[in-house]
Amino acid sequence: MQAIDNDYQIIELVEKAKDGNKASLGQLVNLFYEDIYFMVYCRTNSRMDAEDLTQGILMQMVKNLARLKDTSRFRSWFFKIAINHVRDFHRKKRWSFFNTTSEMYDFDKEVTDNHNNLENLMMKKEFWKRFHQFAERLSRGEREVFILRFVDHLRIREIGEVLNKSESTIKTNLYRALKKFKQNPELHDLLKGGV
Amino acid sequence: MKGMDIHLNEDQIIKAVVDQNDLSADERSHLSTCSVCQGKKKQFEQELNNLGRMVKECAPLPERKLIPLYQEPLQKSWGSWFWRPVFVCGVALILLIAGIWFSTPYKSYREYKTAQLIEEIEDDQKFMDAIEVLEEKVLFNFYPDVSGEPYSYVDDEFLEFIFPLEESQYST
Repeated sequence: MQAIDNDYQIIELVEKAKDGNKASLGQLVNLFYEDIYFMVYCRTNSRMDAEDLTQGILMQMVKNLARLKDTSRFRSWFFKIAINHVRDFHRKKRWSFFNTTSEMYDFDKEVTDNHNNLENLMMKKEFWKRFHQFAERLSRGEREVFILRFVDHLRIREIGEVLNKSESTIKTNLYRALKKFKQNPELHDLLKGGV
Repeated sequence: MKGMDIHLNEDQIIKAVVDQNDLSADERSHLSTCSVCQGKKKQFEQELNNLGRMVKECAPLPERKLIPLYQEPLQKSWGSWFWRPVFVCGVALILLIAGIWFSTPYKSYREYKTAQLIEEIEDDQKFMDAIEVLEEKVLFNFYPDVSGEPYSYVDDEFLEFIFPLEESQYST
């Protein structure tokens, strides 16, 4: 989220967009574009897939915005669309004949394009390696909750709305995920120092 | 938590990071006053914030531009995009038919066709009259005398000669 991070301002934009104000709709799209892109990238690990999916998610949001009754729940509603979109993508990919792992593709391409930032790129590659190793240690529920909370920065109430689960279930999953995170020295150490 | 000098353990710190309200009242009051526990919690939260930041920093930026997501709303008076060309085609067709119907060349063509038809009917009538005349008078006036055709010769005597009656047969 960039300049506008105020819930009230988001609600105002959503209401105007619902009334057909194209400028507000454009602002809303620009506001959430990066958040949705990174959210998708984190779950697909491919830039091209993330771009395609983000486009689809934003289109679906624009198409269905009129149906949103409670504008104060826009964020959770929008992320629910995104989560379902990503799930569909993985489901289709599982049965696809051309199911190739695009993992690390973007980095290999970037390494060949930018020789100067090789060290930086290798560090990024290392981060994703550790991040995925950690994510694999979590159960599906724990992983979803952890990423929604600390990568996508959703509130516990919003996560509950996105995943259709009670707040206590979300907290339990989050607690377990954080315990595993504490026990994971590799990613833990990397984050202590920052980039 | 009985004494204020007992710090929160790792699990309690995690609990506090998840939701501070899930701690007991004693734990909460300790956390609100203990700088050590606050520091631990803050450090843990900082690590988690770093994770979110690093995901964004380490992910490649999107290169493709967004395709426009919305279109101009349709004008209600014109209806949908399907009906507009249909309506225009219909009007054009009606105008074309009316133009042809009332145009001068077509009118004169109709008059010409009517005159032609009347002429044909008159010719037919003449032809039928000629046939009727021929039917009644097949030969010219003097030919019936030559051929012995006038039917005035066909009298009872002649017929009796051709088809004799039974009585006359017995008499002979």
